[in-house]
Amino acid sequence: MAPSATHQVLLSPAELSYLHTSLSLTPPVRPDLRTANQFRPLVAETNILPGTNGSARICFADGTEAIVGVKAEVEKSRSSYHSYDELDTAGDVDEDDNEGEMGLNEWVELTVEIPGFRDDDPMPVFLAAMLSEALVADVQFARRLYINRRFHWKLYLDILLLSQPLSYPLPLLSLTTHLALLSTRLPKLKSEADEDPLFDDDWEESVFLYPRAPRGAHQRPPVTLLVMAVKDNIIFDPCKEELAVAEAVLAVSVGERVAGDAKEGSMEIDPGKGRRDVRVLAVRTIDPPSRLTHPGIPNTQNTATGGAAPATMEQAANQRETTEEEGVWQPPRGGAQRKLIALMIQRLLEPGGVAEEVLDGLDAVELG
Amino acid sequence: MTSLKRSLGPDPYASNVSSKVYVRSTRSGKVQKIVRELYLRQDIPCSSQLCRSCLATAPRDASGILVPFVLSAQPAGTKTYPQGHYIVPDTNALLNALDAFEQTSAFYDVIILQTVLEELRNRSLPLYNRLVGLTKSEEKRFYVFFNDFRLETYVVRENGESINDRNDRAVRKAVEWYARHLTQAVKAAGGKVKKVPAVVMISDDKENLIKAKKDGIDACSLQEYVNGLENADQLLDMVSAAKEWRETQHAKVAENLYQEYFSVSKMMTGVKNGTLHQGIFNVSPYNYLEGSIHVPAFDKSLLILGRESINRAVQGDVVVVEVLPKDQWKEPSTKIIEEETMNKDENADAEEGEAVITEKERRALQEEVKKVHSKSTEGRPQPTARVVGVVKRNWRQYVGHIDESSVSQTAKQSRKQQTVFLIPMDKRIPKIRVRTRQAGEIMGKRVLVTIDSWDRDSRYPAGHFVRSLGEMETKGAETEALLLEYDVQYRPFPKAVLDCLPKEGHEWIVPPSMDDPGWRGRRDLRGLQICSIDPVGCQDIDDALHARPLPNGNYEVGVHIADVSHFVKPNNAMDTEASIRGTTVYLVDKRIDMLPMLLGTDLCSLKPYVERYAFSALWEITPNADIVKSEFTKSVIKSREAFSYEQAQIRVDDPSQKDELTNAMRTLMMLSKKFKQKRMDAGALSLSSPEVRVEMESETSDPIDVKTKKHLDTMSLVEEFMLLANTSVAAKIYEAFPQTAMLRRHGAPPKTNFEELANQLKVKRGIDLRVSSSKELADSLDRCIDPKEPFFNTLVRIMATRCMMSAEYFCSGTQAYPEFRHYGLASEIYTHFTSPIRRYADLVAHRQLAAAIDYEPLDASVRSKGKLEAVCKNINVRHRNAQQAGRASIEYYVGQALKGRVVEEEGYAMKVFSNGFVVFVPRFGIESLIRLRDLAEPEPESAFDAENYILTTSGSRDVKVELFDKVVVRISDVKEESTGKRKVKFELVKVVGSK
Repeated sequence: MAPSATHQVLLSPAELSYLHTSLSLTPPVRPDLRTANQFRPLVAETNILPGTNGSARICFADGTEAIVGVKAEVEKSRSSYHSYDELDTAGDVDEDDNEGEMGLNEWVELTVEIPGFRDDDPMPVFLAAMLSEALVADVQFARRLYINRRFHWKLYLDILLLSQPLSYPLPLLSLTTHLALLSTRLPKLKSEADEDPLFDDDWEESVFLYPRAPRGAHQRPPVTLLVMAVKDNIIFDPCKEELAVAEAVLAVSVGERVAGDAKEGSMEIDPGKGRRDVRVLAVRTIDPPSRLTHPGIPNTQNTATGGAAPATMEQAANQRETTEEEGVWQPPRGGAQRKLIALMIQRLLEPGGVAEEVLDGLDAVELG
Repeated sequence: MTSLKRSLGPDPYASNVSSKVYVRSTRSGKVQKIVRELYLRQDIPCSSQLCRSCLATAPRDASGILVPFVLSAQPAGTKTYPQGHYIVPDTNALLNALDAFEQTSAFYDVIILQTVLEELRNRSLPLYNRLVGLTKSEEKRFYVFFNDFRLETYVVRENGESINDRNDRAVRKAVEWYARHLTQAVKAAGGKVKKVPAVVMISDDKENLIKAKKDGIDACSLQEYVNGLENADQLLDMVSAAKEWRETQHAKVAENLYQEYFSVSKMMTGVKNGTLHQGIFNVSPYNYLEGSIHVPAFDKSLLILGRESINRAVQGDVVVVEVLPKDQWKEPSTKIIEEETMNKDENADAEEGEAVITEKERRALQEEVKKVHSKSTEGRPQPTARVVGVVKRNWRQYVGHIDESSVSQTAKQSRKQQTVFLIPMDKRIPKIRVRTRQAGEIMGKRVLVTIDSWDRDSRYPAGHFVRSLGEMETKGAETEALLLEYDVQYRPFPKAVLDCLPKEGHEWIVPPSMDDPGWRGRRDLRGLQICSIDPVGCQDIDDALHARPLPNGNYEVGVHIADVSHFVKPNNAMDTEASIRGTTVYLVDKRIDMLPMLLGTDLCSLKPYVERYAFSALWEITPNADIVKSEFTKSVIKSREAFSYEQAQIRVDDPSQKDELTNAMRTLMMLSKKFKQKRMDAGALSLSSPEVRVEMESETSDPIDVKTKKHLDTMSLVEEFMLLANTSVAAKIYEAFPQTAMLRRHGAPPKTNFEELANQLKVKRGIDLRVSSSKELADSLDRCIDPKEPFFNTLVRIMATRCMMSAEYFCSGTQAYPEFRHYGLASEIYTHFTSPIRRYADLVAHRQLAAAIDYEPLDASVRSKGKLEAVCKNINVRHRNAQQAGRASIEYYVGQALKGRVVEEEGYAMKVFSNGFVVFVPRFGIESLIRLRDLAEPEPESAFDAENYILTTSGSRDVKVELFDKVVVRISDVKEESTGKRKVKFELVKVVGSK
């Protein structure tokens, strides 16, 4: 179970009910009048920290802001797979042979810092786990950090939320991390094969962790997006108030496959249309904060409006379970239906869907 | 979704701030991105005396003093720039021709840009240091302009621009700015535009020159520029040959003669995991094709045989080697191979058909291989290795002379540029190919050259001519050559050093008033009967002695050492200079002082009849030479007399002399003999090295005769007490500073060093040489007696000495206590304390002792282990160089003394090779080689019995030479072709034999 993302929502049951109702309309009416697929505008810049290998800052319109710095260090690989006598300094290592061992999860260390939280609080830990999970789910990622059979890069991602966590900060942190990784550069390797690595001291010569292809269709790190549902309405990029009434919340990590990369298994998607080949890397359900809200009390149970209050707590709970009264807030119960989850993911991935829009938007950010 | 890139706001200081980004790899393998912020300024002066605006804004130091402007207001002009010019060299120009920039005939008013200076430092540290030295000398008017810190000349690297291009652009921009700035300055001062000096960029990069032309900047290539100067030929020779060479080589399709070096990372990985080895490359003095390298992984050195395996390594380089497979292991050669005999008539210009190994060399190698095979049961082939890369070149400037056979006759007169071979004086250095226009002029002269490069396709390294030292065999040239070869600092002391001397100069005296601060903590020992005993004519008297009986029957003995540390304070210019020089160097006719004359021969020197500051060690000693008590104190003494060894000996031996001083000397003599006996019982070695003295004619100081030094008892008198003082001081400073005491150790030689000698003695004389301890060695050396041959013992001692390790200075914290041992002296702990005038180590010991007795606080520089280690490393090298220079000087003068004479002398065969043997002549303390081909013409047939060390010749001459045989040789002098040294030549007259 995910820990509560935001502080307790300070909305009355009536307000919650109002929000819920307007979000359940077709089309939904969102508090900030966005359409269901519309994202909030954001301000982004990269390479803001000169001392890092890559960095980015994103500022959402609601005032939340995050910066991410990426530092890389050369680290000796564990030698359990190779003994020294098979060490080959002469060159021609067949790299495909040891593909499986070429990347390991501990090559990335990710820390999330959120004001007001200790670093061992469940929220930062959970967010960090979610972000790194998406990152390493991409097999290609660890391979990028491979130097040779004895050495690899270790990445340290420091994710820092500058503002209060007004809304669930996952998308913000993910997008910022994404940009930071895109702008990350590693010193250019000069040595060959399994020698101790030696690097060019010219920073201008350094290479991007995610190399840029000339036509823009370059590989990129994953993005984790937040999708929520109210009744049958699927809403993207929810704000704090919307989350407070969400019935199901999903964190979906998507990655993009470059056309050249998709050799097999790409039958279902026709590659020829210049569409992005977006695929899901990880999905997590997030326990919406709406579950912790207090229920509204219907008039029938309210003594102030002439109703009869239930005698015991138990009774009250039982009665609430059965009432489906319009305008009375009931915290959502139970999980989301499979069909709904499938739909949420589909809406994200479909051609011209939200994922594409987000990736297009990120492409527009100038990488320094 | 929309996104915006926020641009950096209008930062008011943005134009003043820039940054520099690079990648730094640390030794531990970390790779870091480094960002340095640059704050650009506008007050960095142009330093031209023409400019007033810079004068007004230039930054001043805390006391408001401005660094005086360097560049002259009326710089020299040339044909192209009659109005005068400032020179701005780029990095390549400096790399190729720093020697020319150092000349006094041209290259004044030079602006060194920061960009260039930094680039030079990355390319070559030694050149960088020389350039920094140049910028500090005032008369050459070199100015370092920090163009990367000045706003107007700072250049931002463009996208996709390489660092080199960016730096070139920075140089051009700085030149452009200078030109504009100077014009403005002159205009502002009301001068004529015509009078503005030109700012000329000198570059060897064609592209840079073209771009400069486009930008309208005055620029020319180094060659063009030098051609416009007066002594163009001489200067052009100083321009590195490397570039031209490469150009001519590329024209032909060059064949690579040597294997390519490994990449740095490959070498480092190999060294780290133990498959490759790193060490200092050494060439055998007998065989220029045989090198050896000592690597930490093995006890014994690895052999590197043949030109291909040596792979362009030069004596002293730090190289990485790879061990060759076992079937290529060999024995070290028993043959003498000298370069000049092998490759005599080569043409330096000819490139075609040049193989790395000439046929002759190949044959010589084959013979060795055969021998290894034939003796497979007995012979122990040694592991061989191959050089795969050079970590650090230790090329220096080499002294040598032009190989006359390589100079074409027609070109001798003409000024045409031609390539000649330079044969270095040091036999271990290969011939150097030098392009010169002055071949005719510099023939027969000692010249200084540097190696620039050694490409894979060239058999010999390419270098360029630096300067001529003078005619060969003139005293000046030869002495300077020696000093240069052994890296002895012989330039006069700079002003900064002389400024550290006491103001009173020779008038300085010990303050008469005891209240003077100079007297603080000093004991008044002026009443003691102190005298000094030194060699004849000694001016820098370090030590003096006294002895007097005490009422209890014991003796008080004092050793008084010149108090140099009173005059040389730590960390001032004089101290720094002394620590660099490390030691005074004694040549036959010259002394190169470590400290300025005023101190060495006057103020510090414990001259007789005057009061001097001293550092005294005082002991109470029983008549049996047991030490009852010892103490150290700073003091004031007055030496009663300065004796020479001979005078002192006569006085001691003369029973009619009954004065106090002579009696004191007799006491000292008696005690010293007892001390010596004790030392010998403890296992001290009495080793021997041939020592001779060259007698000079007093007026012309031409050598006239050679004498072996006579040993006198007074010499061991002084020696014993100096040893005593050194040992007691060592114990004292170690007790006070266990981590940082400056000590001297002499490692026990590894057993393998003696293997050869022990085997030789066993085979030839049936004597067992036991080497497990110094005591055993001393005893068995005593047993090495041949009743018929009194010199035999000395001969063995000389040979044993060569098997020893050399003693070294060290800082006590770097070794464990058992390692402190001085093997030769059989002393647990030892240091040098008694000659602070001529050795820097003694000066450090003085400072430490002064601190140990609470006379003064210990200075930080003698308290830091790291600093002391660096000092030790330097003085160890200097010490060795000084010894070698001294020996080489004697060798030269012995040759000169024998010039034109033919003498027959007795000698001993010291070493026997398959094609020659080495004879040592004790009368002159010289040794030389007699080759088979010297025996008779044609060269006689020979058979060499390596097990029994017998060389038998037959055919044109029948001779049988065994090791240790007494022979008679005819000694004449001959000028050695290879090194240009006048050397003695031995001819075998007869073998006397010894059995």
